[in-house]
Amino acid sequence: MSMFLQACVNGLLMGGFYSLMGMGQNIIFGVMKIVNFCHGEMLMVGMYLTFILYTFFGIDPYLAVPIVAVTMFCLGSLIQHTLITPSLGTKSFTNLLFLTVGLGLLLSNGALVIFGSEYRSIRTAYSQTYIQLGPVTMALPRLISFGVLIVVTVALFAFLKYTTIGKQIRAVSQNPVGAEVVGIDVKKIYILTYGLGIALAGTAGALLTQFYTIFPTAGASFGFRALIVVVVGGLGSIPGAFLAGIFLGLLETMSALFISPSYSDLIVFMTFIVILVVRQTMIARRK
Amino acid sequence: MLKVEGLHAGYGSVNILWDISFTLEDGEIVAILGSNGAGKTTMVRAVTGMLKPASGSVSFNNEEMAKKNSRMILNSGIVQVPEGRQLFTEMTVLENLQMGAFNKETKIHFQDNLKKAYQWFPKLEERAKQAAGTLSGGEQQMVAVARALIGEPKLLILDEPSLGLAPNIVDDILQVASTLAKNDGISVLLVEQDITKALAAADRGYVIENGRIVLEGTASELQANEHVKKAYLGI
Repeated sequence: MSMFLQACVNGLLMGGFYSLMGMGQNIIFGVMKIVNFCHGEMLMVGMYLTFILYTFFGIDPYLAVPIVAVTMFCLGSLIQHTLITPSLGTKSFTNLLFLTVGLGLLLSNGALVIFGSEYRSIRTAYSQTYIQLGPVTMALPRLISFGVLIVVTVALFAFLKYTTIGKQIRAVSQNPVGAEVVGIDVKKIYILTYGLGIALAGTAGALLTQFYTIFPTAGASFGFRALIVVVVGGLGSIPGAFLAGIFLGLLETMSALFISPSYSDLIVFMTFIVILVVRQTMIARRK
Repeated sequence: MLKVEGLHAGYGSVNILWDISFTLEDGEIVAILGSNGAGKTTMVRAVTGMLKPASGSVSFNNEEMAKKNSRMILNSGIVQVPEGRQLFTEMTVLENLQMGAFNKETKIHFQDNLKKAYQWFPKLEERAKQAAGTLSGGEQQMVAVARALIGEPKLLILDEPSLGLAPNIVDDILQVASTLAKNDGISVLLVEQDITKALAAADRGYVIENGRIVLEGTASELQANEHVKKAYLGI
């Protein structure tokens, strides 16, 4: 029973990360109808940023989260302004596919050149502190990350629901023509949206650093899972991405617990394929 | 107040509008009439800055609009109710109306304007918390008109308000437009293919065919015109 609860908590934690990645990906997709194939690499950049801040400036990984988020937001805005917005004008999906995939390759290989292929990690004074919560034991960094994930997710929902910019983001994603009719600066929203999506990926990276190794392709598995989350949760749907992320995290830990940890990737992707097939037949039947 | 002269516009190398000229005075309702594909919506897009005119002039209160972008034109008081309504269907009615307040001034006046909009369309107050996509077509059109009114238009452009709606709802909406023109001095550009209804509401009209204006006159002149009778009214 306590094993089961432990797996639940770990599943929720990993699910929180997948949700964050998927929601960032989905905000970008909703607004611009593009899939951001370098989303996982952005998480990796967030990890290395945190690593640099900790190793060279002695900044605690959790205090680094806001710095990483802001830096990544600026990086994302810059990429949107200089690379993606001009490519959107061509209305070519392949252009944007190559652009974002290329950016991802550039980032992971750039990290390889700068940091080498060694596995890095951040060990703080409290990395090995464990907290007993009833039948569940959790390392303190995991607990803090979990808390921060909840705060960020709630803040994201509130931002989209109640702020003017958040409403404008939703408006552009629901009806770009209507958005232009009511005078929304669509290009500005593009910049803010991509910046926000990248900041969320960077935040996820920063929150992972104390219990996940840092290496140039560390983002790949998260990038893939973000895509699964997006497809399962529904393209462009933020609540859908949130739920799908949590589901994916739980599925992973449960299959590791009940079947075998070495099969968890297999099970995740099998489930993904089954969901795709089932949904496809349902759509076909509806037609 | 609105003076369009020699307007040419189109998409890429395809020109759609040829030498369009018309005028619209304060508090006047002018109908732009024409069948599907005549170029009416292209004209609305060119006047509102959503499409850059190839040549020609659009002057509004003696200010040139043809070089401005859609947001600048909106700021100068030209607000449209677009064809197909273009609502944010997953947002609530209230949120849709909030999106209509696009600058500081209209944001400050929002509560007053919202009250007025609810007086025009009491149904919207009941539905304020409902997602706009769950409303009937007529109610959605009301949201689109109310959203435009919250932007405090000096010139209100109604693009195909009759599209897919029951006749009595179209009458209601045209009634609102008439009252706005008469009491508040708002000019209304009514772009329609339902010529009977449009001419009943309008002071003057222009008929567009294949991207050119082929006829103009007062509403009663156009109603009596042989070409209009034959081609559009089926008499």
